[in-house]
Amino acid sequence: MNSCAEIKESLSAWMDGELPTDKAEAMRLHIASCAACAVEQRKLERLDAALKSVLVPAESVGFDPLWRGVRARIEERRSRSADWIEWFRSRLTVPSLAWAVPIIILALIGLFSVDGFWPGARRAQPNNFASVESIDAYGRDVALLREDETKTTVIWLFQNQEGEDEASGDNAQKGPTF
Amino acid sequence: MELTDSELVQKSQAGDVDSFQQLVSRYHQKVFTVILGLLRNREDAMEVAQETFFRAYRKINSFQGGSSFYTWIYRIAVNIAIDFQRRQKRNPLDFRETMDQAFEEQNEVARDPFSDVHDKELRSKLISAINDLTPEHKAVIVLRTVEGLSYKDIGEILGCSEGTVMSRLHYARKKLQEKLSAFL
Repeated sequence: MNSCAEIKESLSAWMDGELPTDKAEAMRLHIASCAACAVEQRKLERLDAALKSVLVPAESVGFDPLWRGVRARIEERRSRSADWIEWFRSRLTVPSLAWAVPIIILALIGLFSVDGFWPGARRAQPNNFASVESIDAYGRDVALLREDETKTTVIWLFQNQEGEDEASGDNAQKGPTF
Repeated sequence: MELTDSELVQKSQAGDVDSFQQLVSRYHQKVFTVILGLLRNREDAMEVAQETFFRAYRKINSFQGGSSFYTWIYRIAVNIAIDFQRRQKRNPLDFRETMDQAFEEQNEVARDPFSDVHDKELRSKLISAINDLTPEHKAVIVLRTVEGLSYKDIGEILGCSEGTVMSRLHYARKKLQEKLSAFL
């Protein structure tokens, strides 16, 4: 660090005692031998003195008025919390709880049966999985498998042996046959 | 025996308001001075100082002790003061009058009239120049000049690195010097 420009860049930090020892010593030696940088240093010292005279208040602030304000805010918050707790407690009576139970049950029934009245209402996005629709077609069952994402449709013909299985009591073979 | 900050914080966290009051009594002067340096108005500074300690009380449980209590409280104070300043956008004229008044009270002793005129003008220009600084530049100037805090502490308070503090201080002083070149 030799040039005056570099010295000026670090002058502020040097005066604040924030430079490492070796750098600070180099600064000190330079300023001692450079009139221009010494002038810059004095200007900064005058600026700091002027700043102190303006920024440091003439009189101290009293603790009591400040604390009264803080205390009032704490009390106000406490009373607000207490008001909420009191309001909540006042509503936690036996009759209100007795009413709350059937209301919650009705709400749950409504929530689970909403699909019955309004199909698809609770579905967040279109179903991308296979959907199966089957119809009876002249003694055979037809199943349609549609997959929305790849636009694939599979038509599946099979003979329903459920009735025969039940009648014969043979459980070994289950599912469709082709 | 006087309790340490850390002990008072622990008691405050357990809900002891008296312990919190002791913390406030320890730091109210310093916190108020920093806020006043940023806002330049006693009434506003009182309002913000009260809000600072109230918020500190509300958030005392989130104070983990990773930094010192005064760094933590300064951080709250500076953040609220900067927000307040941005919201208020006070008329610089009000601010100038307030500060001039404060300075008159501070320097009642009769002095050389030529020196007085020079000082008054310097003060007026300086206040105007401080007022033109960004809140971040003003904050580093106040924390360094008024409190003499280290760059490390200032960085912790403002949530930036020591290098940023150094750079902000350098440019803030440079700007002030430019505006006061005729007086320095």
